[in-house]
Amino acid sequence: MRRGALIVALLVAWAAFGFGINRLLDSRKSTLIQARSAISPTKETPAFTLPGTIWVSQGGHLYKLRGRLFTDVALPAAAGSWIQPAIAGPGQLLVVARAAEYSDIYLVDASGAVRQLTRNANAAHVERNAWSYWPHLAADGTTVVFAYDGPKIGTFEVHLAVWSGPLSGKLESTQWTTPTSYTGGDVAPVPLLDGGVLYSSYSITSSEQIVSRIAAVARPGASPVFLTAGSDDCGEPAVSPDGSELAVVCTSDTQTARLELIPLVKGVPGAPKVLIRSCLCASPAWSPDGSSLLYLAPADATGHFQLWWLANPAAATPPAPRALTTNLDLDATSPPAWSSA
Amino acid sequence: MLAIAGIVFGFGVSGMTGAALYFSPAIAAAFQDFGHTIHHKPATATATPKAHATVAPAAALPTPTAAPAGAPGGSFTVLLLGSDNDAKFATNVVLTQSMILARIDPATRHVTMVSIPRDLNVQLSTGGTDKIDKAYLYGGVDAAINTVEQDFGVHIDHYAWIGLLGLVHLIDEVGGVDVVASNPVLDDFYPKDLSGSDPYDFQRVAVLPGPQHMDGIEALQYVRSRHDDLRSDFGRSVRQQQVLLALRAKAKLLGIADLPDIASAMSGQFTTDMSLGQVGLLLPIAGNVSLTDVQQVVLLPPYTDAQVIGNQDVLAPNWDLILPLVHKYFPAR
Repeated sequence: MRRGALIVALLVAWAAFGFGINRLLDSRKSTLIQARSAISPTKETPAFTLPGTIWVSQGGHLYKLRGRLFTDVALPAAAGSWIQPAIAGPGQLLVVARAAEYSDIYLVDASGAVRQLTRNANAAHVERNAWSYWPHLAADGTTVVFAYDGPKIGTFEVHLAVWSGPLSGKLESTQWTTPTSYTGGDVAPVPLLDGGVLYSSYSITSSEQIVSRIAAVARPGASPVFLTAGSDDCGEPAVSPDGSELAVVCTSDTQTARLELIPLVKGVPGAPKVLIRSCLCASPAWSPDGSSLLYLAPADATGHFQLWWLANPAAATPPAPRALTTNLDLDATSPPAWSSA
Repeated sequence: MLAIAGIVFGFGVSGMTGAALYFSPAIAAAFQDFGHTIHHKPATATATPKAHATVAPAAALPTPTAAPAGAPGGSFTVLLLGSDNDAKFATNVVLTQSMILARIDPATRHVTMVSIPRDLNVQLSTGGTDKIDKAYLYGGVDAAINTVEQDFGVHIDHYAWIGLLGLVHLIDEVGGVDVVASNPVLDDFYPKDLSGSDPYDFQRVAVLPGPQHMDGIEALQYVRSRHDDLRSDFGRSVRQQQVLLALRAKAKLLGIADLPDIASAMSGQFTTDMSLGQVGLLLPIAGNVSLTDVQQVVLLPPYTDAQVIGNQDVLAPNWDLILPLVHKYFPAR
């Protein structure tokens, strides 16, 4: 009896040991493989609070951050992934809904009700679908500026250009820029207080590199004025609310980025200041009062993008940026939107 | 005494069983996907392109030294191959859409990558002249390796081949890659061959520019699209090297315990002559390479010249320029 119990105990111990070795090895997996899934923003508690309301996008959902609470805005999933929110007056946002082969711009109000502003789907002809991205409401409060790949048939060439149209009418009304062919085009337009538009313009260099320059146009069809050099390869412009500072992401055609601040005096760029070097900084966005910047960058080796805050970027020596979140997987191509209310 | 030895032996067996079960996907892959043999074709004068005879590596260039394959700590050359192995093709009867010749020096942590354009018109090791991407189609990995060896005059120590889904699954398995997309990559005629019922169908894709975290499908779209790039295949080569470097950044965070998941993810979509152990040893080497120590070469004009030969768009190699460049970084055969 005793011998039988001993054998059973040994068998159990051996099995447990083997199982333990198996689980021990499993626990030695890298954090990359263990932490593939980031958590939902609604389960994240930000490290500190910022005033107002911040909108961000993760996994196709639009989230609203107020205080330390993220809320899923719960926009209709059937429209696609909700990205690139932009403030469009009190209680309203312009947001892109990206479907598999096209994207549209919607006006979203505080209750979550949506109004579709563009209709880019064409089930019969795949190439007649269109992309609309980076919508912003101009200073006049009635015009939407955005990037759009325009009508085209039977060509391999697809490029985005800067377009605008009335919020209450056909959005694809006026083409502002003529992009360089086969580079991807002109993207990320930002309306300026004087009625012009600043954007990221892609072109190809003599050494066959495709680089981006920040360009400004005063009116549709006007010649662009370039504010940065091709060698700096700067894009993702964000202009401060008073128009005096321009935050950009520059890569110099490398696989690392730097966040730069360029003072603007009547539209003329001053000497750039590097705010953050050797980062994967993306999608800067200004606070409503222009006193601080949000941007997206990874916080650890998983590479998932988090929300970072940089106070007083215009100071001679800005303080170190602080990670607002640590466990999210925010869409780095979707700049945050920040309103005072 | 015997009883104690038996108990200890039992623990040893159970521990090894637990480990074996854990590593079983990697063990299966070790037999199926790893350790393939390369059949090198001996160098012959007739197999070498004409221009080879007239061009010697520039005297002023440093001469890289050849280390025996597998020499511990020695430099080695790897040919990285990528194929569109979707439903349009029979198993292993595919072109190589991507060919990257890489020289890795573990001692100096220096890596050189030369992207070989798929349309490069060369003498194939299987005979005749054609685009270099057809070498694999006609003679598998041996033909691809022997073609590169004979035309570029280099010795290839190892190779690694990956299929479309292999790349997607690998990137997903390591939790995605961080890439600075150099420009918007828009394509209205991107192959819809990994989803849907018609592998000849197209779909629209748009990869937005800037720093971002890509999953496997997004990364594949970024490296595979070529229709809306003025540089066509060259632009794609640049993007392929970017994603390869992004994977390198992830490699340093991986360990031996990650191999089963990675092996499972890439099963049937990856082959190499290296053993699983050799690949495991490469992970920390790859991770220790800094971006500043990576030399990236794309054979743009004047190294190549676009031509139409027999109704085919091809790239004619300028061997007078290519060979000195390649032999600057890769030891001659």
